[in-house]
Amino acid sequence: MPDRAAAGRAPATGLTRRALLAVAGTAAPLLLASCKGIQVLGSPPAPPADVLLLRAAISAEEVMVARYAAALTDLGTSTAPRPTGSDTATLAAVRAVHVQHAEHLAQLKSRLIEPPGSSSSPSPAPSVQVTGSPTEVLSVLEQAEQAASDRLLSQLGELPGSLAQLFASIAAAEATHVPFLRAAGQVR
Amino acid sequence: MTAPAIAASQSGGSNRQSQVILALQHALAAEQAASYGYGIVGAHLPQGSAEQTAAGNDWVVHLRLRDELSALIRARGGQPVPAAVAYELPVRVQSPAQATALAVLLEDRAAEVYLSMVALPEDGLRSFAAQQLRAAALRAEAWSGSTHAFPGLPGTSLRSG
Repeated sequence: MPDRAAAGRAPATGLTRRALLAVAGTAAPLLLASCKGIQVLGSPPAPPADVLLLRAAISAEEVMVARYAAALTDLGTSTAPRPTGSDTATLAAVRAVHVQHAEHLAQLKSRLIEPPGSSSSPSPAPSVQVTGSPTEVLSVLEQAEQAASDRLLSQLGELPGSLAQLFASIAAAEATHVPFLRAAGQVR
Repeated sequence: MTAPAIAASQSGGSNRQSQVILALQHALAAEQAASYGYGIVGAHLPQGSAEQTAAGNDWVVHLRLRDELSALIRARGGQPVPAAVAYELPVRVQSPAQATALAVLLEDRAAEVYLSMVALPEDGLRSFAAQQLRAAALRAEAWSGSTHAFPGLPGTSLRSG
């Protein structure tokens, strides 16, 4: 009759050895930690994917807000002497969308909770240049909107439900900005 | 030990499946209402106008989505809830302007149900719902000429954030 207990002991020895190796791998930092403080445990774990995506979305939205601010400055300058009906409609549309992007940014930021003492500090406003004729400015904005919408939709699978909803809603809004801006540029 | 764990897992899966089917039924109901509503919209727009053509195109989109959602429900073992015979319209429609307003409401309602579906923990459905949310928002923009900062979300839900 086979000795089941003996048969089980050999692997048990192996497991014990592996366990010891595993403990040895963590023992040194723990022992050092007791002497030098918690910082020797190593760097904190990398943020999860949804936090990284949220930070990226916030950065992208900051650039979008800056892009619209630059566009408004450029349009205001280039159309100032004698604005046409089209110029006025374009300025009004760009202002309206600028406000919506500011709302997007505020909502995205409200979802990110940085731990106290976090190294992340408020980033300076991004510098964006948007120049050209009103038609060219609108074209730049429309392309940026479509790209932003597509990018947000491509990231939904890695997000928790409520954040996915915010991304999807913002993506939908950004898609609607394309025909909205285009229509404003066609006003005569 | 193993059997109860498996049973619990199956129960959780069953609950999730029920949740998915319920969300699909809500979307189906919105598409059925939109299919009905666009008939009213088209009937009150000028005959042969671009707007009436657009209403016809959007009506076809909603019919297709209705069928697609029915198939999704059946594929998950559910039974699609049939459409109502008639619907009470949220606005009185007697003019082209009122017909346009109804079209916007139908698209806003569709956007709401698709946004709720985005929360489902199933990648394929989440992507489908997000695409349909965007499409509904684009149709609403085409009818209204205006945009919302957060399509699919009730107007005040994000103000306090």
